[in-house]
Amino acid sequence: MLITRMRHAGVALCLLALAPAVLSAQQGTLTMGIRQDATVPVPYVGPATAGNALVTDQLFLRLTGLGTSGSTVGDDVMVPELARRWFRQDSLTVDFEIDPRARWHDGTPVTARDVVFGWESLRKPVLGVTQAPFALIRSVEALDQRTVRFRFHRRSSEQVYVAGFLVQPLPAHLLAAIPADSLTTSEYARAPIGNGPYRFVRREPGQFVELRADSSFFLGKPGIARLIFRLVPTSDAQVNLILSGELDVMTDAPASALPQLSRSTTHRILHSPGSFITYLLFNSRSPADTGTPHPILSDARVREALTLALDRNRIASTSFGPGAETPRSLRSQAWYWLGGGKDAGRADRDRAMRLLREAGWRDTDGDGILDRNGKQLALTVIYPVQSPLFAGIGVQVEQMWRAIGVAVQLEPIDGPVWLQQRRAGRFDVDIAGAEQDPSPSSLSQSWSCASAAEAGSSNVGRWCDPECDRLRDAAPASADPVVGFRVALERMAEWAPMVPIAPTNRVVVHRRYDNVTVRTSRAWTALWRWQIRPGAALPRDR
Amino acid sequence: MGSWAVRRTAGAVLLTLLGSATLVLLVQLLPGEPLAAIIGDRALDPVTEAALRERWGVGRPPLTVLLDFFANAVRGDLGVSLSEQRPVAEVLLGRLGPTLLLGGATLLINFTLGTWLGLWSALRRDTAGAKLLTGITLVSYAMPGFVIGLLLVWLLAINWPLFPAAGYSDPLLASDASAWTRTGDVLRHLALPLATMVLATIAVPIRMQRSAALETRDATWVRAAIARGVTPSRVAWRHIWRPALGPVVTLLGLWLPMLVSGAIFVESVFAWPGLGSLIASAAASRDIPLVIGAGVLLVAVVQLGSLLADIVNRLLDPAQRNR
Repeated sequence: MLITRMRHAGVALCLLALAPAVLSAQQGTLTMGIRQDATVPVPYVGPATAGNALVTDQLFLRLTGLGTSGSTVGDDVMVPELARRWFRQDSLTVDFEIDPRARWHDGTPVTARDVVFGWESLRKPVLGVTQAPFALIRSVEALDQRTVRFRFHRRSSEQVYVAGFLVQPLPAHLLAAIPADSLTTSEYARAPIGNGPYRFVRREPGQFVELRADSSFFLGKPGIARLIFRLVPTSDAQVNLILSGELDVMTDAPASALPQLSRSTTHRILHSPGSFITYLLFNSRSPADTGTPHPILSDARVREALTLALDRNRIASTSFGPGAETPRSLRSQAWYWLGGGKDAGRADRDRAMRLLREAGWRDTDGDGILDRNGKQLALTVIYPVQSPLFAGIGVQVEQMWRAIGVAVQLEPIDGPVWLQQRRAGRFDVDIAGAEQDPSPSSLSQSWSCASAAEAGSSNVGRWCDPECDRLRDAAPASADPVVGFRVALERMAEWAPMVPIAPTNRVVVHRRYDNVTVRTSRAWTALWRWQIRPGAALPRDR
Repeated sequence: MGSWAVRRTAGAVLLTLLGSATLVLLVQLLPGEPLAAIIGDRALDPVTEAALRERWGVGRPPLTVLLDFFANAVRGDLGVSLSEQRPVAEVLLGRLGPTLLLGGATLLINFTLGTWLGLWSALRRDTAGAKLLTGITLVSYAMPGFVIGLLLVWLLAINWPLFPAAGYSDPLLASDASAWTRTGDVLRHLALPLATMVLATIAVPIRMQRSAALETRDATWVRAAIARGVTPSRVAWRHIWRPALGPVVTLLGLWLPMLVSGAIFVESVFAWPGLGSLIASAAASRDIPLVIGAGVLLVAVVQLGSLLADIVNRLLDPAQRNR
């Protein structure tokens, strides 16, 4: 009896000892630097900037989330968020059942009507949402309060991903009365009411956005009580704030600052697979006349030689630090689930020179620049002047190509003019970068024959390979979609329309956080699971 | 004086209107994607793109844009910012506080401490102290503002964390903090940007005041005052400083726009939410309504600064006052 009592007392003491630790794990603050202000953190409504996306992901859930693999193919790879389950009715119909515990932050239940409203909103042209990713969906219908039915145009293993991840519910009870073209400037846009783990508290324009944990969040209490997203537009200022201890998290740390940041005793650097991809794009059409093939770059041997002349490993590591890779095709690290496709990334100048000789390029006048039929092998490389990263890549490319006899003219252009110039196809080589969508199907937006034929499309290099299109479009409905996508990407690599570099997410994180997960796509959707390590709380966490 | 002031003010208003109209028209000629702030390099289908262009008034004739701008501006409506998705007037107003604080404090220190140091070094022209001051001010003037800023951050925010490294206020401050606490917090954040701005610019008023004071030091009325037995401090302030103030006041007028445009590099180093960085990012992203709104504000402030300088100069100089 006594022993039992002592045991009980011991357990009670242990619980008492643990209590502060548990308490601190459910409190605390996280301050993260953002480079673009979160002006309107509402799905589909605000401009599609990184700042808006980051905050939106804390305020709004999707019907389904991506699993740990990041795969988008199959009905069972997605994980429940607002939808607690989904049922396939037939090959063209999927029903989602909304979790009855899901609530908007004003207490109103999330309903099937909200999903339909989200779908109808994103289709309004005035909101400027890119429609291509939703092309698979034929209709969205509320069957009852909690069941929403998606019908699709064709069979695809990505139906659940497209419906559950890409279509986000919006609060119909708050927004239905607001005209679509007034949404961005509405009171709702200034203080959004979401359904995610964090509630909107306030925004000081030009300074910060503050969110508070929703203690009634139906998927569990968020580990950190308060999130502050501080607008710090420059990397240098963010590094200073990290070093002075005023910032807990910094994203996309510049490679040049990594050695200094790695010496920090309070922060650590996390290299996790990311969805960003940088590439040198070869224009397949003549800049002077986009109706004709490019006089130099339409030759596959020249493109291969230019790729082989580059020490891509060196460019990757100097631009992005360790962990950056040189994939064989346009594949960020978010598409690791496809497997295969990495490249050694080493330069092979001898082979590059051989290929150029085979293509007829020789230095006949001894000026160090190759020529053919009296014309020099000269290329113009454009990039936005606002990007020091692309400028650094440009300088390295210039030196490496110059070493094999290619004259390079670097042309930094003001951002909006660069957008216009590349869309018009007025360039030889373009340095660009993009956050890749979770699905490889998204390549059709900028890397397909249909987009090549469309004036002003984002297929600015006018790359077109009908066979690649066929392979990619057939992949989601094939017996093994993963292999299907992989084969399509391999086919793309053979043509070499660009030279890709796939960096990691370079995140600087304060050491007091536990359960730190940075996802490959929509990197910060797991932020609500982060916690303060027991006993590691700072005064500002209380 | 009265009729001169009315004529001068009317001229300033007219120039402001003309400057604004020129700005509105010139901005229409800017190359580049006018909706870059919204669509970036995303792929949009033609219907969506057309709807966006219509909503934001892209491609309207310049004259229509100009007339609409003035018609709306009369009502205080400067349009909606593409990047901020808020009324331009509201965006500008939000940035005005930090801008006035940093720019105003810089001007205040430059033209109080600066003129005093300028006069002091003129009166002690050949002393070691004056030479040292000249050397220090020349070195700080030669250094780019952002280098001074980075040095101060490294020294006083990272190595000795006395001041915040960046920002305008502490976002962690409790929302119910007292006004004193808030003011103190803003002043702590102001310290390093202000020190940077002052170090980078104070050499100008010092040098200008010094050379003006050196010229008046040997003037006949100064020698007469000394001969009359006027006290040295009265000679310094009344007979040397006041007549030598004209060039400095003109400089003050020209520097007033700094209140609005701020110092882009300093704002960038310290993530200071001022108008300078806002204008730079608006121009870089072709946020045309915001560029126009901020530009018109700058034109107005330039005119206002010039007008004020002329009025003060006239008040200081009896010869001009009676003309």
